[in-house]
Amino acid sequence: MTNTVASLFKNGKRTILVADDEFINRAILSEMLQDEYDIITAENGEEAYDIIQSHSKTLSLILLDLIMPKMGGLELLSVIKNRNEYSGIPVIVLTTDQESEVVSLNTGASDFIPKPYPRQSVVKARIHRAIELSEDRQIISDTQNDVITGLYTGEYFYEYAEAYDKYHPDTDMDAVILGISNYNVLLERYGKEKCIQLLSMLANELRKQYLNEIAILCHKEMDLFFIYCHHTADHDEKLQEISHSIDCVISGVKLKMGIYKQVDKNLELRNRFVRARMAYNKLQDNYVNEVSVFDDEILKKILFEEQLCADFKTAISEEQFVVYFQPKFDITGNEPVIAGAEALVRWCHPELEMISPGLFIPLFESNGLIYELDDYVWHKTAAAIKDWRGRFDKKIPVSVNISRAEMYDPNLANRLINIVEENGIEISDLHLEITESAYVSDSSMIIDRVNNLRSKGFFIEMDDFGSGYSSLNMIGELPIDALKLDMLFIRSAFKNQNMKMLDIVIDIADCLEVPAIAEGVETEEQYLKLKESGCELIQGYYFSKPLPGDEFEGFLR
Amino acid sequence: MATIEELKAYGANTEAALSRLMGNETFYLALVPRIFEDKNFEVLSSAIAEGDLDKAFDAAHSLKGVLGNLELTPILQPMIEITELLRHRENVDYSPYLEEIFRQKEALEKIFEG
Repeated sequence: MTNTVASLFKNGKRTILVADDEFINRAILSEMLQDEYDIITAENGEEAYDIIQSHSKTLSLILLDLIMPKMGGLELLSVIKNRNEYSGIPVIVLTTDQESEVVSLNTGASDFIPKPYPRQSVVKARIHRAIELSEDRQIISDTQNDVITGLYTGEYFYEYAEAYDKYHPDTDMDAVILGISNYNVLLERYGKEKCIQLLSMLANELRKQYLNEIAILCHKEMDLFFIYCHHTADHDEKLQEISHSIDCVISGVKLKMGIYKQVDKNLELRNRFVRARMAYNKLQDNYVNEVSVFDDEILKKILFEEQLCADFKTAISEEQFVVYFQPKFDITGNEPVIAGAEALVRWCHPELEMISPGLFIPLFESNGLIYELDDYVWHKTAAAIKDWRGRFDKKIPVSVNISRAEMYDPNLANRLINIVEENGIEISDLHLEITESAYVSDSSMIIDRVNNLRSKGFFIEMDDFGSGYSSLNMIGELPIDALKLDMLFIRSAFKNQNMKMLDIVIDIADCLEVPAIAEGVETEEQYLKLKESGCELIQGYYFSKPLPGDEFEGFLR
Repeated sequence: MATIEELKAYGANTEAALSRLMGNETFYLALVPRIFEDKNFEVLSSAIAEGDLDKAFDAAHSLKGVLGNLELTPILQPMIEITELLRHRENVDYSPYLEEIFRQKEALEKIFEG
């Protein structure tokens, strides 16, 4: 690194060194330039070199006579151009003969000014141009390289990568994204200095590892590095090597890599890295894998999700979302009796046919569309309850799912009450299923919110119990009216014949004095065992799969 | 005190010199006598006397630049000629050139002494 351009101004003027052994020549140049520049003069090569050393950060230009005592101009020029810290300072050679001009330019001079000197305006114009070119180059070099790592910054990276492609159209290239897991946590824990050391070390290791692959390297964001390189099968090994090397800075740092191999060059460069990022994003929240390679499956999934988001508004307005109902049976008596239902949404997409909620609920939770979908489902459910009230004698409550994202809406209780009132049903008709994991994530706020819902009269079922790692300590304080056992929990209990755990969970419900509801019950064996253990309510394919409203009505007759 | 007219009469291309010096006559008249202090005149003559043509060339070359900037044609002209001979390290008799240079230099000094 040489001077930053900002350091070159002193009192608004740039500084020029005039090195010439002839007093008269120095005097003429000083007179010509002093209105615009601060002038320092030197009578010989050695004096000039001393000044360059002490003023290297502030010198904008050197005007250099070739023939001087002690150290000649050419020798000095060669020294300046071979020292990194001075090589950025432009030098204009002052010369009386043309022969020296070529030598000077070849040694690194930016330009020459002949003797006798041309008019002031010509001298100034040449000086101005040399300084401008040098400062432009400096600005480019300052902005193209990241200060911490010395690697390219984003925009320049793409420029250089595109230039590389232009001259190597047939070379197989890989687009790779390398990132540091939990960088923010490292920053908090180890401090900025240590993390900068980590980034800088990582950059050095990247350079080493990708030395043979002709790689263009970029420090893209705080904890992300982009690599555009010749295709190789060794990315995994390189990642291991890099991980190993940076371990001495901060031990146990986890690196992740998303790779788009043998890129399609018809794609824009940025889009190739979008693909690498798709692969990289697959590693989020994944603590096992460190490397993910882009493939058509990833693309298909992302395009599919994009289509779902794009089609969402139409789906709502055309009522493509259909509410299904799965009955819950009370098994405490001799015969199972219908005691309720859970409302479950299905998407009857005109092109993609029936889409499972497992594919769109997490997606809509992550992008906020869930609020609109929940409103829609709650409305449809309340309307169905109202409709059944008018036509059937049996009155059963129906539960709706309250997604975790909903728990952050302070207006949740009012939204639900409005729906109840608009449809002319009772609050007790609409049960709310809140997943166990919601309680765990931000428990005191969620508990307040659930308490508020209960105080309004809503019946709260804790959903997916057994999957969310509630502490036993906490369960006693949770405001709930029923425990709903996680389907996977039941399945694995029967698969492993581990009934003890099942009994414990049902005992917990007993202890809390709330009913236990088992979902996902598929076989008679499961049904009988759950009944024997004291489970009160059962939902599952053993009795009925989720049904459209008109089919579900069969249970109400 | 010398004047521009005197320098012109001496043979200097004062117009070219003043154009280089932004028309500043005082500055020009102050600069010209500084060449009398220039050690390269002595270096030139002693180096030639010692046969050190490299050293003589450097001195002549430097003087050529200064004299050119001041447009002191009567000294500049023989200086250009001697510089070219020295550049090729010609084995010639340099004394006529030196005599002319020092003669013209003295003539100039007289203008400033007068």
